[in-house]
Amino acid sequence: MKKADLITGVVLLVLSGYVIQETWRMPPSATFGPGSGFLPFWLGVLLALLAVILLATVWQREATEKDRKSPFPGAKALIAVGSVLGGLAAYILLLEVLGFLMDTFLYVAFLLGVVEREKWLMALLVAVMTTAGLYIIFQVLLGITLPSNMFGF
Amino acid sequence: MDIFHNIILGFQVASSWDNLLFCFIGTLIGTLIGVLPGIGPTTGVAILIPITFGMNPTTAIITMCGVYYGAMYGGSTTSILLNVPGESSSVMTTLDGYQMAKNGRPGPALGMAALASFIAGTFAVLMLTLIAPPLADFAVSFGPPEYFALTFMGLTLVTSLGGDSPLKGLISGVFGLLVACVGIDAQSGVGRFTFDNMYLLDGVGFIGMAVGLFAASEVLVNIEAPMQKVFSEAKVGFLSLFPNLQDWKDSFWPIGRGSILGFVIGVLPGAGATIASFMAYAMEKKLSKHPEKFGTGIIEGVAAPEGANNAAAGGAMVSLLTLGIPGSGTTAVMLGALMIHGLRPGPMLFSTHPDFVWGLIASMYIGNIMLVILNMPLIGLWVRLLKVPYSVLMPMIITISAVGVYATDNNIFDMWVMFAFGLIGYVMRKLDYPPAPMVLALVLGPMVEMSLRQSLTISHGSLAIFFTRPISVTLTAIALVSLFAPLFRILRNKYWRGES
Repeated sequence: MKKADLITGVVLLVLSGYVIQETWRMPPSATFGPGSGFLPFWLGVLLALLAVILLATVWQREATEKDRKSPFPGAKALIAVGSVLGGLAAYILLLEVLGFLMDTFLYVAFLLGVVEREKWLMALLVAVMTTAGLYIIFQVLLGITLPSNMFGF
Repeated sequence: MDIFHNIILGFQVASSWDNLLFCFIGTLIGTLIGVLPGIGPTTGVAILIPITFGMNPTTAIITMCGVYYGAMYGGSTTSILLNVPGESSSVMTTLDGYQMAKNGRPGPALGMAALASFIAGTFAVLMLTLIAPPLADFAVSFGPPEYFALTFMGLTLVTSLGGDSPLKGLISGVFGLLVACVGIDAQSGVGRFTFDNMYLLDGVGFIGMAVGLFAASEVLVNIEAPMQKVFSEAKVGFLSLFPNLQDWKDSFWPIGRGSILGFVIGVLPGAGATIASFMAYAMEKKLSKHPEKFGTGIIEGVAAPEGANNAAAGGAMVSLLTLGIPGSGTTAVMLGALMIHGLRPGPMLFSTHPDFVWGLIASMYIGNIMLVILNMPLIGLWVRLLKVPYSVLMPMIITISAVGVYATDNNIFDMWVMFAFGLIGYVMRKLDYPPAPMVLALVLGPMVEMSLRQSLTISHGSLAIFFTRPISVTLTAIALVSLFAPLFRILRNKYWRGES
């Protein structure tokens, strides 16, 4: 945790540096009163200040039990988290290529069959039901046109 | 009487068929979300924004409110039967509720939780009815400095009251304000932090952000620790749900005090149902003649926190509707939803949209009655629902979120916003950064900036404007005190320990 806090402190400091540099070029004041760069500039300064306080307090504090452990889970759990996120990215990328029906079916089947290691029959069943349920809610009840693939479904 | 006229108007709106139906659906979903660990009310409300997008705003918000206070009811069921709080606001209920179930009295514990929720919830709506209109009248006179001070106070209270580390809360809030700055500045037309992306000219989409920050990151946190399937052996008959006379005697004052305390805490911007239930439990323990019995399974320990969290949910609606200041993550998401529907919460809402405000309030009376009916006879059904494994629930939550975010604008970019904020939310949760201040800052950001710049324009750039007007100086003072209170605490601890 200590290491993670130090890293986030540095990341926040870099971020605030970027914000300050960006807002420096914006007009600080308009004809009447403060302009568009005013609030973000001071927010950048405030963020830098908070990041420094974070770094200083973390640096000074004696390592507690929590500090020695990493806040992130072990490799196995991280792979699960990564697969859900990676699957989501693929889902978004492929939504307008595969169409809503196929894309959703595949993503749910992947989540259940590969990530959760449920039985395949169960995974396929839930995938069909989820896809059908979402189709009914969005396309039928709410009348939203969901993306379809080149074959029209 | 004006108020009767308004209430009648409200019930006319709330008792239309679709409003009744969606009030019921909302409370049903809310109970479900409350019962299921791993999905909270904020996630539920966030997912509902796209689904209710095309509805009439009154119906949409009635549904979301139903989810919000419905979750307060449902959360107690698993706390009592399984020692697993469905929501953070029902953590305190596990202490005595689970012990009561173990001692063979699950029925009265569940029944008292539902009835205390009902009494306190109804009390809170009653107080909302009485307090909100005069407060709104009072707030009509607010100018930009008062609004800035008010939003500033809301933000600082959220950071100082929620979470373990006020510093991390502040960082979360400042980050949220910065994200709110993205896009074309409404007052001067200058693009800010747009990275030459045309989608960002409009700002970062709120729905994608809220759904990512709550729904997606909640799924990610839950996926890494596979939840054990939990079953309850307890058989709960319908008649056993009714607490006996002694139970009522023991619970009478705890419910009363819990309701008042919960309501007051709910009204305060920054403190929500969770803090209310903690404080109510602590207060009862302090006032009790037999504090040592708390935690062994006494009914006061269930009645007080359950009453308090429901009263707080009602209280939170006061500051949301009259001032436009949400008190918690869930109400912040609801504020975002209101704005998407073109309703600007604030003092003017009562005069410009009386049908909406009073329809919503009346629906809360109706919803509370629906919830008692849903939660008393159907409790066995809810318990059985727990057998649905999370592995089945997870893909449903994530796909309904993703499709919903897409459906509001038919825009893939919004899904990427959800993706990014899902990841940000996950890292924040892992590193103990509370997400509530961030979402509050996102919603309030534009108002903070506008009122700040307007105030400084009025005063020709002098900050003194915030300290010379009586209301704004009071609010600013509260904000500054709450901002620096943690710092004082740290310093005091250091020096006192240093001396002794």
